Amino acid sequence: MRLGEALQIIQQATGDRKRQIHLLCSFTPLHFATFVKAYSSLRFPGDSISLHTGLYGDLEGNIQRARDVEAQGAIAVAEWDDFDPRLGLRSSSDWTRSTLEDIATQAEEKSSRLAAQLTGLAEVMPVTVVAPTLALPPVTHLPPAQASAFELRLNTILNDFLREVCKQKGIKLLNASYLAITSPQNARHDVQMDLSAGFPYTPPHADALAQLSVDCLFPAAPKKGLITDLDETLWRGVLGDLGVDGISWSLEGKSQAHALYQKVLASLAESGVLVAIASKNDPKLVEAALRRSDLLLPPTNVFPIEVSWGAKSDAIGRILKTWNIGPDSVVFVDDSPMELAEVAEKHPGIECLKFPSDDPKGILALLWQLRTRFGKQEIREEDGLRRQSLRRAAKFVEEVPAEASADFLARLKAHLTFANCAADHGRAFELVNKTNQFNLNGVRYSEAEWKTKNHQPGRFLTTVSYEDRFGPLGKIAVLGGWMKDDRCCVDIFVMSCRAFSRHIEFQALQQLFAKSGASAIRLQFRPTERNGPLQTFLRRFFPSDSLAEGELELSAETFAKSCPPLFHEVIFSESD
Amino acid sequence: MDNIQDKLARCFSLAFPKMDPGQYRTASAENTSQWDSMAQVTLLSLIGEEFGIEVNFEQFEGATSFEALARQISEICAGA
Repeated sequence: MRLGEALQIIQQATGDRKRQIHLLCSFTPLHFATFVKAYSSLRFPGDSISLHTGLYGDLEGNIQRARDVEAQGAIAVAEWDDFDPRLGLRSSSDWTRSTLEDIATQAEEKSSRLAAQLTGLAEVMPVTVVAPTLALPPVTHLPPAQASAFELRLNTILNDFLREVCKQKGIKLLNASYLAITSPQNARHDVQMDLSAGFPYTPPHADALAQLSVDCLFPAAPKKGLITDLDETLWRGVLGDLGVDGISWSLEGKSQAHALYQKVLASLAESGVLVAIASKNDPKLVEAALRRSDLLLPPTNVFPIEVSWGAKSDAIGRILKTWNIGPDSVVFVDDSPMELAEVAEKHPGIECLKFPSDDPKGILALLWQLRTRFGKQEIREEDGLRRQSLRRAAKFVEEVPAEASADFLARLKAHLTFANCAADHGRAFELVNKTNQFNLNGVRYSEAEWKTKNHQPGRFLTTVSYEDRFGPLGKIAVLGGWMKDDRCCVDIFVMSCRAFSRHIEFQALQQLFAKSGASAIRLQFRPTERNGPLQTFLRRFFPSDSLAEGELELSAETFAKSCPPLFHEVIFSESD
Repeated sequence: MDNIQDKLARCFSLAFPKMDPGQYRTASAENTSQWDSMAQVTLLSLIGEEFGIEVNFEQFEGATSFEALARQISEICAGA
């Protein structure tokens, strides 16, 4: 992005929800602040972005003061001169050997103080820490080709500092290696601007750093599923022409790009991403090919496998139905621009990526793109359960094609575990931010907003886990709210679409009535484009009302009258 | 020169979004309260982008009006 574009984005931003971000550095933030604001505006189109910058030359003080100003997050940039000003170009101090010794000592002390301040800040808001992005100036007597003991010592101090801050919950470290791809080291420092205005970055570096900093602080919700083609994508060659032994994914076969792609798919599947195949092929041949022992993506990690001679868009429609997720949560990879266009037209919102079968250099860019779309903070138990539970759900649907009978539900031998959870519960936060179909109001939260909301006195936050004879689904629902007199107010009620058709939503409300003793539940409802299943559920209790945004009061009496028979064994746990 | 003035006006619209476009061509640091040293740096960076030139701050020292900036850009472009 150019500076002019960034200023234009800022000027055109019209959001009304205020989002405050701290930009903490000791240099004049100038264009860096402009780019951070522009990328934040793109990330949150409905928000009005307000940046708080601190005082020139005082990173430590700026971090300390930021604690007192509420914000949704902070970006803290520490360049070398923040560890000791004599490491910057604007200092008039000498670089004699005795001075260097003192610089190292000071840097060590300063790094401890910065770590303590950052730790304190991370207690109240998420923080992205940026380690020095500019090269050290030529401070030692050695020729530049030779590394000095002084530089090694500084790097040790820096690494100790980074290891220390990374241990803290709420702190994320910007990936310096990835930054180097978009901003080469020799194009980062604007010496003229550094000396004349106290702003050390070239506009392209300020742009690249701002984009990654915003992505790191406010990562986009990861996509949920990846659908891949086979011929010239998962492997090199056309299976129908070459046969099972003719296709390849190896250095020897000059097809290593496909091996790299398989490795990333296997890694994504392991982290809970749904992986499916859509291929125009002979099903029997594909079955045989997927039995090859050298395949790097285990076929057990792929579900469903749609192989036919029909349109790709039809196959993808069936996969989306099995997964029960929308196209905007899915990436489709194919080597054929025609197939990509056909799928994009039939499934608006799906992200179509071309496999660079004729461009070996393009493979790395594709792999980075996939990591960007599917990157997540942590891998949870539910990530491992997702694919298995979808297979079971398919079996479940085979057994119960329409509305499940009471008899069938009774035979499920289902257990539901309700657990009170901490304000910063990761799975609850994830579920609330990614659930669309059964979501009371579609409200999404930043980490800071989530923490602040759930720390309010009197609030409850409960997760619901499910298991039946088909196996466990893990934590699949979240309820949150507070008591007001004899009413229970609920503003968080979400359930994973994997858990539909089991009457879990009814049991959740039944237990809420039972545990709270409330005479009514007040649901803070908002219709969204995607929460149709939630609205169908509510219609059972409010058949004649128009379901408009607002508070819906569900009395215990109305609930009892409309609630179907429930057969779950319910367990309560004090903590999750 | 007209082309230079149009491109420079675009830089002004981005650096001084609240300024009336009719005032760009008569604007100077003296009659524009938002035109401080930081705005000058932003303006020069925008000029660098818009005209595809390497901006040397010393070359532009004292160029604190639309007219003076246009003259300086014109000289640089002519010499290029």
